[in-house]
Amino acid sequence: MFTRGSLLYIGQRLILILFTAVAVSSIVFLGIHRLPGNALLNERHPDPAAQAELLHYYHLDLPLAQQYFLFVGGVFHGDLGESLVNRSVQITPLLLREARVSAEVGGAAIVFTIGIGIVLGVIAAVRQNTWVDYVATTTSVIGYSMPNFVVASLLFLFFGIYFYKWTGGTIYYNSGWTGSWGTLDQIVVPGFALGFPYASIVARLTRASMLEVIRQDYVRTARAKGLTDRIVIIRHALRNALIPVVTILGPLVIGIVTGSVVIENIFGIPGLGKEFATSILQRDYNIVIGLFTFYAIIIAAANLLVDLLYTVIDPRIRY
Amino acid sequence: MSDLFVGKLRALRPLAVIGAIGVVVAACGNGTSTTPSASLAADQTLRFPSDSDIGTLDPAQINAETDVELYQNLFDGLLKFDDTLKVIPDIATALPTISADGMTYTFKLNANAKFWNGHAVKASDFIYSFSRSAAEGGNAYGSNFDHVVGYDVVSKTKDWAHNQTMLSGMSAPDDHTLQIKLISPWYVFSTELALASAAQVIDPTVVNTDDANWWSKPATAVGTGPYKMVSYIPKQSAAFDAVPNWWGSPQPTVQHVKIDFIADMSQGVVKYEQGGYDLIGYGGMGSDTPTADIIRIQADPTLSKQLKFVNKVRTIWVQYAFGPPPSGSGRAQSVFAGDLESGPAHDLRLAFSLAIDRTQMVNVACANGITCSAATGGLITKGLRGYVGDNSDPLAKFDLTQAKALLKSGDPTGSKTKNLTYYYDPNKAIYKATAENVASQWQTNLGIHVNLQPIDHAAFIKNYTAHNYVLFREGWQADYDHPQDWFDNLFIKGGGSNGGDYTDPKVEALVKKADAEPLDAAIADYNAASKQMMTDAAYAPLAYFKGEFMFKPYLIHAGSNNFNDFYWNEMQIGSH
Amino acid sequence: MATAPGLVTPEAYVDTLAREQSSLWGDAWRRLRRNRLALASTVFLTFVILVAIVAQFWLPYSYFAEGIAPIYQGPTAQHLLGVDDLGRDILSRIMLGSQVSLKVGIGTQVIVIAVGVVVGLIAGFYRGVVDTIISTIINIFYGIPDLLVALVLVLLLGRSLGIIIFAIAFTQWMTMARLVRGQTLALREREFVEAARAGGAKANKIIFRHILPNALGPMIVQATIGVPMAILFEAFLSFLGLGVPPPTPSWGAMAADGFHALRISPHIVLAPAIALSLTLMAFNFLGDGLRDALDPRQKR
Repeated sequence: MFTRGSLLYIGQRLILILFTAVAVSSIVFLGIHRLPGNALLNERHPDPAAQAELLHYYHLDLPLAQQYFLFVGGVFHGDLGESLVNRSVQITPLLLREARVSAEVGGAAIVFTIGIGIVLGVIAAVRQNTWVDYVATTTSVIGYSMPNFVVASLLFLFFGIYFYKWTGGTIYYNSGWTGSWGTLDQIVVPGFALGFPYASIVARLTRASMLEVIRQDYVRTARAKGLTDRIVIIRHALRNALIPVVTILGPLVIGIVTGSVVIENIFGIPGLGKEFATSILQRDYNIVIGLFTFYAIIIAAANLLVDLLYTVIDPRIRY
Repeated sequence: MSDLFVGKLRALRPLAVIGAIGVVVAACGNGTSTTPSASLAADQTLRFPSDSDIGTLDPAQINAETDVELYQNLFDGLLKFDDTLKVIPDIATALPTISADGMTYTFKLNANAKFWNGHAVKASDFIYSFSRSAAEGGNAYGSNFDHVVGYDVVSKTKDWAHNQTMLSGMSAPDDHTLQIKLISPWYVFSTELALASAAQVIDPTVVNTDDANWWSKPATAVGTGPYKMVSYIPKQSAAFDAVPNWWGSPQPTVQHVKIDFIADMSQGVVKYEQGGYDLIGYGGMGSDTPTADIIRIQADPTLSKQLKFVNKVRTIWVQYAFGPPPSGSGRAQSVFAGDLESGPAHDLRLAFSLAIDRTQMVNVACANGITCSAATGGLITKGLRGYVGDNSDPLAKFDLTQAKALLKSGDPTGSKTKNLTYYYDPNKAIYKATAENVASQWQTNLGIHVNLQPIDHAAFIKNYTAHNYVLFREGWQADYDHPQDWFDNLFIKGGGSNGGDYTDPKVEALVKKADAEPLDAAIADYNAASKQMMTDAAYAPLAYFKGEFMFKPYLIHAGSNNFNDFYWNEMQIGSH
Repeated sequence: MATAPGLVTPEAYVDTLAREQSSLWGDAWRRLRRNRLALASTVFLTFVILVAIVAQFWLPYSYFAEGIAPIYQGPTAQHLLGVDDLGRDILSRIMLGSQVSLKVGIGTQVIVIAVGVVVGLIAGFYRGVVDTIISTIINIFYGIPDLLVALVLVLLLGRSLGIIIFAIAFTQWMTMARLVRGQTLALREREFVEAARAGGAKANKIIFRHILPNALGPMIVQATIGVPMAILFEAFLSFLGLGVPPPTPSWGAMAADGFHALRISPHIVLAPAIALSLTLMAFNFLGDGLRDALDPRQKR
């Protein structure tokens, strides 16, 4: 499957990932250092000497170029520095831990997105121009028109309050992270809220590309050979119809990343999104910069994965 | 202090505050305080949530309320406060012997006192700890030692970890005797030593191994308190265990304390209801529970009995700028500046204050008085020494007729009150709610549109202490029960938190006189200073804070006074 | 200009084109009218716009007056949508909040169109190195988490309506630019543009008389789809506490304010959430309808 060409391509992409990560975090680094105020300020004792010492501790007294140099050096060693608000908290292990939490919720969201999206899309395409199609299509517009916090509020209302007796209120993380998969019941609702808007987009794409594929010759041939509709759809049409759907995976990851900022806050999930909102409001710039770097890597990696998926799904593509 | 992340804390244990005693009694009454040891739960684990992580537990850096609530259980000083707000010995065996000139303090130390790593506490450890706080604590409470001889040298020390200069005024004639010399008599000194902040003792042999981060790792977070840290996962959880065979008393009954750092207290309340937590409000969370949850709980016959309100020693008010714009700030001239006792600017200030209906404000912004009450007795919170008296503050009256008349004389053309902006930090729900409320009232009652500008807490502090705002939220949380705390920082020229740059020679003279008097004599002068500020219409008072707590009925001696949570080692968990 | 008889002048060609275009718009309008969802959306959006205009002059209650009813009170005859956590009339705030949403939605698209058209035209028209550079920049922008960048921008520049609009446009211009670029690349090869060029027409004339009018359809569709995106961004910023400063109501901020009260007063969240969702839905249905109408090949 991997020819020399494709390996070369992957190599290039890996370098690009690193480059993008550094570029994005550099832009954020430089931008953020122009912001007024930082988390080191103290209402009670705005003592200049003590301030200077703190700035020195965080290397914030160095010229910007030198700070930047230290920062980039750190990034290449996987060291994103120390929190400004919570002294002694190293950012890299913190983000790695939180990334695991976010990955589980985000993973659930992606499963929902793709699962619901493809099913809705296929049904709509197969039953084109029937009421099933209209319902599925309309649902998908409603889906991506609803802000994720609205979806979350509704789910919260139903599962957290109205059906409280049934769910026991454990639909969200109301405490610290309790461990991998042990909290599966807590992932479902936030995962759904996070993925639902994108499921609608996947459904639209699937429907459109299914319609196109169904009309093509080989599907007609397959049908003519007497294969049942179900087999034709699954074995022949769907596989090809999924190719355009793969293109959305890149934007989907970005969507999940940004969506998680809201969803994790609503459901109190101790992941990267929660961290982002908290540290930006507390002006913990070191964490904000670290998060952007982290996100840049995740998104670039997702894009790389999409490229690779292409080669798997569509054998015609060779790099 | 005035804030949620930073600022000076309150760290006394003042039950002199009448309201608090009621609460304490109430809290105990819920438990089984009469027969404490009769039916204790087998599992003595205390669990509670906190919506903010530990900032630091280093005496040289600590200044946030949430940190102090944990810190006070892990470290000890020479002195501490008892439940009647009296300063009592902690590691010292008795109150200090003070020389006739009031400038030399001598302490005898408890020979049994030791760190949990087994090291005995020596007098030299205090010299080390205090000097370190003086050197590194400029951003926190290090300045509590500013009356100690040698402070001016040590506080200027750079890179203390490698350049340890001790306070020359401190000496240790032997391992269990400590002598501290002051530059002048300073009546607040014992109080400052009792404050859980810069004056707690740490183990030099441990701290010197990692001056910056020793406190964050269970192995090196060494203190003398009844509890020690056993795990700390940033932004997730922290756990503390009782120290076996602790040197002090009472011996801790609660063996484990587990704190979850959660997203917001609303979720903590739900988990409390489900039995996941034993209490709500510890760790400085007393005013972080959303009002909607409190209203919901009040409507619940069972839960409402577990809900306790405690008056907190915190006041917020509207502050006007009295000084000129700092150069390069781009700030406009303050229309509120000058005319201290009478004149157009005075009338304008008074008009803005009299136009606020505080009853309405309390009903709305304090959610029917749940989270705060109207500040009608001066800025010093009710219950503290220096409180002027209920309804004694003329600035807190709601008098629309007078306000309109004053506005006419203060701003006849309406040009001065155009385009005013009120700055506030929306980080706490009350700040946001009161800001929106006063702006709404000014608009409705005076017809003045004041723009609201929410600024993130850190930037807000930077700007207001730099005098960059004309009209803004100001606030203060008492560090200790002494009026001095409310003047020197806030209303004296050059005070670190005098964001309004307010200065009145009469106030300065009264405070200066009072600061040099023993407390009892000083109160009258501080009160006179408070009244002078009222005459000046120096501020527009808003509200005194309340804290809300929830305690499961099986908790024994759980509670909080106006300043702090009760110590963990006083508490027991009854069987349930 | 002397022209040989029998040859079609570029001007004459353009006239034909204009006629063709007018019939194109006419057809589109007919198709759009047949789309009931799009039509209903148009009616709804007209209503929202009317509400926004009315709100400028009249509201049932003051949008900032607090405590006019007990806090958290649900819908009553006096306050049809209830009051919020500070005792303000929610209906009045929803009405005024429509202004923020519409200003952000439309304002953002105005900037996006301006930037997108300029950048897209330059890339598409000059091709070569210029195009490569612009395309690379566009691709880099696609790789960053847009909402988070908007968030940082608002924090950096301050909270005001203008800055929020700018911040959102800053993260949204790429799709429009790419679309205009693609249209330009395609159109500049088309015979009528070739003809115009051969006839000696200047670059800007070609752009404004030939390329832009032809790219207009897809641009309108893209802008219509962009409006709900921008409104959603604003709601997101407001929800995280970085929207327009209070007391100006914004639907996102209203929902955020009520979130803690879901257990006792869900109406505080539901009212703005429904208003927001319906408006976004209407824009999306309209966008879909416009696409179908303007590009019949994509019709179901």
